[in-house]
Amino acid sequence: MTWAVFRRALVYVLLSIAAFVSVFPFFWMIIGATNTSADIIRGKTSIGGALLTNAATFFTQVDAPRIFFNSAFIAIVGTVLTLIISSLAGYGFEMFRSRFRERIFALLLLLLSIPFAAMMVPLFVMFSQAKLVNTYVAVIAPTVASIFIIFYFRQATKAFPRELRDAARIDGLSEWQIFLYVYLPVMRSTYAAATIIVFMANWNNYLWPLIVLQTADNKTITLILSALTSAYTPDYGMLLFGTVLATLPTLVIFFVLQRRFVEGMLGAVK
Amino acid sequence: MSSLKLSGVRKSYGAVEVIKGVDLDIESKEFVVFVGPSGCGKSTLLRMIAGLEEITAGELDIGGKRMNGVDPSKRGIAMVFQSYALYPHMTVRENMGFALRFAKVPKEQIERQVLEAARILALDPLLDRFPKELSGGQRQRVAIGRAIVRQPEVFLFDEPLSNLDAELRVHMRIEIARLHKELQATIIYVTHDQVEAMTLADKIVVLRDGVIEQVGKPLELYDNPANQFVAGFIGSPKMNFLPARIVQKDAGTAVIELVHHEGVRLSLPLAGGAVGDLVTLGIRPEHFGLPGEGAADMTLEVDVAEHLGSTSYVYARAAGEPIIIEREESRDQGDQERITVSVDPSRTYLFDQAGQRIR
Repeated sequence: MTWAVFRRALVYVLLSIAAFVSVFPFFWMIIGATNTSADIIRGKTSIGGALLTNAATFFTQVDAPRIFFNSAFIAIVGTVLTLIISSLAGYGFEMFRSRFRERIFALLLLLLSIPFAAMMVPLFVMFSQAKLVNTYVAVIAPTVASIFIIFYFRQATKAFPRELRDAARIDGLSEWQIFLYVYLPVMRSTYAAATIIVFMANWNNYLWPLIVLQTADNKTITLILSALTSAYTPDYGMLLFGTVLATLPTLVIFFVLQRRFVEGMLGAVK
Repeated sequence: MSSLKLSGVRKSYGAVEVIKGVDLDIESKEFVVFVGPSGCGKSTLLRMIAGLEEITAGELDIGGKRMNGVDPSKRGIAMVFQSYALYPHMTVRENMGFALRFAKVPKEQIERQVLEAARILALDPLLDRFPKELSGGQRQRVAIGRAIVRQPEVFLFDEPLSNLDAELRVHMRIEIARLHKELQATIIYVTHDQVEAMTLADKIVVLRDGVIEQVGKPLELYDNPANQFVAGFIGSPKMNFLPARIVQKDAGTAVIELVHHEGVRLSLPLAGGAVGDLVTLGIRPEHFGLPGEGAADMTLEVDVAEHLGSTSYVYARAAGEPIIIEREESRDQGDQERITVSVDPSRTYLFDQAGQRIR
């Protein structure tokens, strides 16, 4: 066996392990949703017949419409607001020259290094004084100005042709109109990629909602799933059925935006 | 169509001054070309006229109206960019009508104006395509069409042909010249290509380091450059410059000797300068004569000869200085190791040490 063949084999083995590690949880989740808790614990890896039982248990234990509405509302409104605010900031940072621009931006990047855990308590105190605890606003507000997304948009805006902005100014557009009618459509791949990233982060957000959403009717699906595991004897079949449901929206968004997502990650402007 | 006037126009970025006081009058329907090496401020000056850059000091009038600080869309200008700057998400038709849509022009009128511009530029079959479906030349025509649709007082072109290949560039150059005739428009055109400047312009403005070096008709600049910079910039291949010294001076005439070619002496009419002054002698490649034709002969060592068919360029060297000689219809010239040429004093230019023309 020559070195080249060996190296190729090694690459395939490593990639197969990586693929297995990424795909297995999904496989296990789907298989588990069709099996009883006992079967799952025994390590059964084939499709079982308990899907409907699991579904029935899940829907009796969880107020699904309410919970999914909470999750969807927070994720969708949060995503839209994050994209608007953070892309405006990214556009502004790149398009407008100021003596302080780089300093402010460096400061923002520095803030990225502060762990959320360190801000949690002061944030909670702020929201509780504003009497906003246990509201959607409390979950959404801290996420809408995302430094990472601002950074991402600023980097992407570097590839946005300046002459398009000049042409639009000569065509009589105000800065807002340029943003709306030229920048936004030209950068749609960047927006698609950011949508996936932000939507996933919002949908899966756990720690902060856990702290500010205090009544059962306001909780998101992530919180509910976590609560279900803490039962004395968790019903894994029902739990995995809930997990499948919770995964669907992100999957749908990803597949709808997939092509643009790849374009966006590679650089939007052609 | 409007005239345009710049008086004492300056531009600074912080402490750095890039436009250092420009005064210029542009007549209505005139085709003016700003030309200069990169970094000379020609594009900045154009962008200041467009309103894309603020004017730090001085005044800009278009059609007799003060335009300092006026919004770009209200200056009566339209601009064609080097990269075309077409909106990639709009069809050709939408690109061309975009400005009018925002000016709240009725739909039927937009359609009429777009069709009219499309007819002038033969864009009719492309109206429903997107920019990415067009070739470079077509994109540039759309960019020009977008400018025409706005019916501006003044057209601004910022190096519009530099992204095109050589053949297309010649074609578009002719197209732009034709357009100027047809539209009777005032055009300001920026380029670093002196051939474009010579062929298109009614008036050339040569810029260097944010200062106007000379303004004039193309052939005026070629025949009568005000300084060594303009002499070197206008004309292709560029003028040869040889160090020389004034060795004799009478009223109205002088004798100069080339520093590196002892014995090559030229007598020419000269009012300025004094005996002993170091000067620079400028000779265009096309103005060297055959041996014996001029007042003095020079023999040079040949490096390379390029034969283009109708003309040949001989790259020679004399005492280490490169000299370019242009020869018409003489294919054997320059294939020898040495070449002898003559210099006609009436076709030379003299510059002082500061690069200013002395006559």
